[in-house]
Amino acid sequence: MNTTPLEDQVHDALHREAEQLQRAPLTVVDVRTRARRIQRRRAVAVGAAVAAVLAIAVPVGLSMTGPAQRSEIMPAPSPPAPVVTGTVRVDPRSAPVDGGPAVAMVNIDEGTLLRNGETFRLPEVYDSITPYRNGWLATVNVEGEQTVQVLDSEFRPLDGDRRPTTGLTVSADESRIAWAEYDGVRWVVVDRAADGSREDRRTELPPSSEEASVTTVGFVSDTEVLASRTDPSDYSLSTFVADGSGSADLPGILRPWAASSATGAVAGVTRVKGDGSSCSAVVDALAGTRQPLWSTCEHTLVSFSPDGARVVGFSSYLDANGSATLTLLDAATGEEVIDFDLIGPLDGITGIHEVAWEDDDSMLATLVSGQTQYVVRLGLDGTVERIDVDLSGVDPTLVPIKFATSQAGT
Amino acid sequence: MLSMTLVDGSGPRNHDMGTTQSRADRDADFSAYMSARQPALYRTAYLLAGDHAGAEDLLQNAFAKLYLSWDRIRDPQALDGYVRRVMVNENNSLWRRAWKRREHATDPTSGTLPETSTHDDYDDGTGGALWSFVQTLSPKQRAVIVLRYYEQLSEAEIADVLGISPGTVKSQASRALAALRARAPHSLDPRGPGARESGDTR
Repeated sequence: MNTTPLEDQVHDALHREAEQLQRAPLTVVDVRTRARRIQRRRAVAVGAAVAAVLAIAVPVGLSMTGPAQRSEIMPAPSPPAPVVTGTVRVDPRSAPVDGGPAVAMVNIDEGTLLRNGETFRLPEVYDSITPYRNGWLATVNVEGEQTVQVLDSEFRPLDGDRRPTTGLTVSADESRIAWAEYDGVRWVVVDRAADGSREDRRTELPPSSEEASVTTVGFVSDTEVLASRTDPSDYSLSTFVADGSGSADLPGILRPWAASSATGAVAGVTRVKGDGSSCSAVVDALAGTRQPLWSTCEHTLVSFSPDGARVVGFSSYLDANGSATLTLLDAATGEEVIDFDLIGPLDGITGIHEVAWEDDDSMLATLVSGQTQYVVRLGLDGTVERIDVDLSGVDPTLVPIKFATSQAGT
Repeated sequence: MLSMTLVDGSGPRNHDMGTTQSRADRDADFSAYMSARQPALYRTAYLLAGDHAGAEDLLQNAFAKLYLSWDRIRDPQALDGYVRRVMVNENNSLWRRAWKRREHATDPTSGTLPETSTHDDYDDGTGGALWSFVQTLSPKQRAVIVLRYYEQLSEAEIADVLGISPGTVKSQASRALAALRARAPHSLDPRGPGARESGDTR
């Protein structure tokens, strides 16, 4: 029997473990490189989080994900573009420049919204913003605490409710907006029609502390919302589906990343390994068994295409730099379709922060290469284009562009 | 005290206003601080993260944020505290990302050592075993344990780092020690089964 008090044993164990370490692995260059990539305001960064969300937009690192906005001008029907297979090299420095992104973006440094070719000056820096009725619905981030706010067409607040939230989730066609809000007693999942044409579907969860935060992730059907709940005792997540009348657990998903209302599929992390990498799976949330359709330990599955046919795979290990890889997989089988090979300068790490689908055949990605942030369009036909975004005058230590409905902080 | 003072760009290190310090001077100051403090802060990062890759990531991120805030931190004595605060918060939030969550024994009473267990040459392995069990704690509890028993901060100082109340620090420490008692072999606990769990007597 060891008669030393446990507290003293812990003290000694920690000192023995630490004092054998004499490491200084970082250089100032390493630190400056990381500093340039810190992409959000400090308040957001310190809250550093990751929520879960999304239907189409997927930020990584310090931001979260949610569905992206799409152009109000619907493209004329056209035959599906051919889909290439294999490896496509992506070098934003040499990619042809193209304008006209069909996904709205926010410049958090300037406080502007870039949408449908127009630039709107915002009175506040919104973490996410999407059209609602004749105005907007947005989340405001103050020192890492987000609240929901309804705005008129001139971005003036219309209500003072400002309940705490964890961010917005917007459907691919922008017809539905979902979020979770805390009413002082419990978390409530709200599913709202963007045109105000129906009553909200409100799913009241059991009473809990605000710390047991709930985050909406995506839509698994016309009436159901995928969400996650945090266990404040260990910050683990559990996954569930809410339909306005109740919720049903979706076991096996440790961290949901994406849902498809087109197919009812859910993608999320199912296992985290000791080295920090993870395994992910696609699950049919509408099937009775809810068994994984397929799984992979090569990718983190983060976003379904609007038609649910494909899913984006990031690296299996993600950190604040984002993902070093981007692979498109067949959502039904897990077969790798296109591997987008990121090419960057020798002195810089390239990381993808977010992806957002423009339509079934192309997506946008925000990435950092060297010291510069880029927005690129990646086509399933193998095309790579750089979106022309004016970043002149922007603080070079910031990465200011994010998709307008991606989430931040939770 | 670890609290830092932030100023709005008017501090003595301010270079953006062109009043006192060039970027080269600023970088030199930062480099000197990094050289002097990196080994010690790395040890804290390692205890928080539990592995070298995680420690490097935590420390690089914290140094980067310090670098960005360098001109706004007036009190040089607060630099270590700032780095610690960023590392702890980042580690807690990283934990919230499922992909960063460490696998650990699901049965807290099983006494099974995690895979990362190492045996210590100095104490018949009990130190290594305890370190392994510390790694199975939740990040907040682990942060409290590391700050209390490695950094030897007071409850008030830990509360300041974590942004929580001293009472919460006390309860987290108590729960962490109780968890360690539950997970560790009884030979590590001189009080034996059913002993009082408060324990934070240092």
